[in-house]
Amino acid sequence: MGPESKKVGHSAPPAHLSVRGIQKRFGGVHALRGVDFEVARGEVMALVGDNGAGKSTLMKVLAGAYVADEGQFFLDGANVSISNPNDAADLGIQIVYQDLSLCENLDVAANLSLGSEPVKPGWTILPRILRPLDDLEMEVKAKEAFDKLEVRTLQSVRAKVGGLSGGQRQAIAIARAVGADSTVVMLDEPTAALGVAQTRQVLEVVKRLRETNHAVVYISHNMRDIFDVADRICVLRHGGNVATYQRSETTPDEIVVAMTRGRANEVNDAA
Amino acid sequence: MQPDGRISVLDRFRTMRETRIGSFAPVLLALAAIWAWFGLALPLWDLASGQADGFRAIFLSPRNIYNLFMQSALIATLAVGITTVLLLGEIDLSAAATAGVCAALLGVMVLAGMPGWLACLIVMAIGIVMGAAQGVLVAYVGIPSFVVTLAGLLGYQGLMQKILPTGNLNVGDPFVRGFTRVLIPDIWGLALGALCIVLFAYASLQKQARRRALGLEVDPPLALWGQVLAFGTIVIAVIVTLNAYRSLPLLLVLLVGITTLLGWITTSTPFGRSLFAVGGNAESARRAGFNVNRIRVAAFGIVGLMAAIGGIFGASRFGSVSYTAFAGGSLLLEAIGAAVIGGTSLFGGRGSVWNAILGALVIGSLGNGLDLTGASAADKLMVSGAILILAVAVDALSRRDGSTGQ
Repeated sequence: MGPESKKVGHSAPPAHLSVRGIQKRFGGVHALRGVDFEVARGEVMALVGDNGAGKSTLMKVLAGAYVADEGQFFLDGANVSISNPNDAADLGIQIVYQDLSLCENLDVAANLSLGSEPVKPGWTILPRILRPLDDLEMEVKAKEAFDKLEVRTLQSVRAKVGGLSGGQRQAIAIARAVGADSTVVMLDEPTAALGVAQTRQVLEVVKRLRETNHAVVYISHNMRDIFDVADRICVLRHGGNVATYQRSETTPDEIVVAMTRGRANEVNDAA
Repeated sequence: MQPDGRISVLDRFRTMRETRIGSFAPVLLALAAIWAWFGLALPLWDLASGQADGFRAIFLSPRNIYNLFMQSALIATLAVGITTVLLLGEIDLSAAATAGVCAALLGVMVLAGMPGWLACLIVMAIGIVMGAAQGVLVAYVGIPSFVVTLAGLLGYQGLMQKILPTGNLNVGDPFVRGFTRVLIPDIWGLALGALCIVLFAYASLQKQARRRALGLEVDPPLALWGQVLAFGTIVIAVIVTLNAYRSLPLLLVLLVGITTLLGWITTSTPFGRSLFAVGGNAESARRAGFNVNRIRVAAFGIVGLMAAIGGIFGASRFGSVSYTAFAGGSLLLEAIGAAVIGGTSLFGGRGSVWNAILGALVIGSLGNGLDLTGASAADKLMVSGAILILAVAVDALSRRDGSTGQ
């Protein structure tokens, strides 16, 4: 297998979301220097790179939290633009931030519906924000979301998030992203703060996302997790692409070398 | 946290506080303790030590309970308003001064011959503007609410003195005085109470039936009927006690009505949910699409409205407007104390307007009971301070649970 096949787009499933030539500058810092990236449905694409490689910047550009200076976005081949978080949400792109963005004082069901609370029908004389909440509908939606993801560690959707474990919280944050009719789910270091058992729970949920035909972007530093869950691995370095590898055709050592020194053959060429 | 699997008393206490009824438990216990002390323990002690001829239950007499409720009503009105900003994690130090300005304006307007109802409506609108203006400074200019409302406290105190140069004004308007003078006839009071209980039971059963139909977890019947029974007992006991002295005053009906409305808004509407979300984690609320700034302004508008209503109630009860009764007195600290003693967290995201009413009763009972035993103003201040510290300590202990979860 030649080096060319390791480039984005070759021997890969048709991309659901893809971006080309993304540039992003913060003042004098050139954070992204023409990055290409793609992810297909039913696939877990790992995004790896050393600190400062541009992983988080790229993800925030995809989520609309940052606006790219240059670059093109394609969804199922159609040219789209993402300039704010609502654009991304409308296109079905959801992000699970590392801090999870959960309200610990609210219960699980309330967190899943946060910002899009269902209200009871009728009451049209009142503005929407003052209509009665349909909290039972919220619980039903929450139960459906957890059933879909096969999360069985939560005993009650009425439990306060403040009393739950890190793995359970991660599952709630993922379920919220999935519940919003999303097709692309991006996870930022979902297992960074978790122990062994809880990491396994979260990885099960990520695999379940692949089975439900979501396009999953998975940012992590942990090679073991990546080789457990990812289908392809996209390596960034100094704000540019190094290569995209098929998991079955690479090794953790090769990825680490790519992250720290760039492509092995380039190193050889230079030598 | 508990490797041996045992649950400590503190943990059990924390889990209890998480449930809906359990959040009332600490303040109800405090209230029961204060009532038992002033109503039973002190009279029994007097009897045993021979200082009294017979058992004199002055504190728990219907007459005193009536006065206690009326005294606490003004504190409760402000505390209910302050609770809405505390839910956001903000504070309002200007509520009592706002109430004072509104009461003074009300007095001046009815003195000039304006009809009472119109003056009340105008004053309520002014209260909303005074509150919302501070909300704009907090939300859009980004000044901490403590500073904005401290400035509001000073400014509105001065404004009240400007409106009332003599510091005192009698209010004789029959409409305004009517809030405290009008009594609901005994039989109608009981009928109203019965109606409330039936509605409460109906709503609970209805919800239970829907839960079952949707296949959701169902509360045990014991808990359901326990709630209905507890609610019914309290309502009937209060109405019977008030009837035994005079009757149910309109003021209390209005206060309960307003609190019900605000309680419903804060717990059962998207707006109320947004208050809790912003108080719990403002950044998540923003990411979830809530307009955090507008929510802040609305919450401060609600405090302003409740302060104006408090001003109207105060003018009605005292029959006069005085600087010391509102802006210059201890009303503000009593109202904030009532909200906090009720279990509303100063850190935001946890609390309930109903707890503020109970907290106001705790503060009111303390003052009333100490007055009856002939305690000095100095004793009252020190005891109130101790109770407040106790309440905030309870809040801080139950708060620690959430932050160690991760």
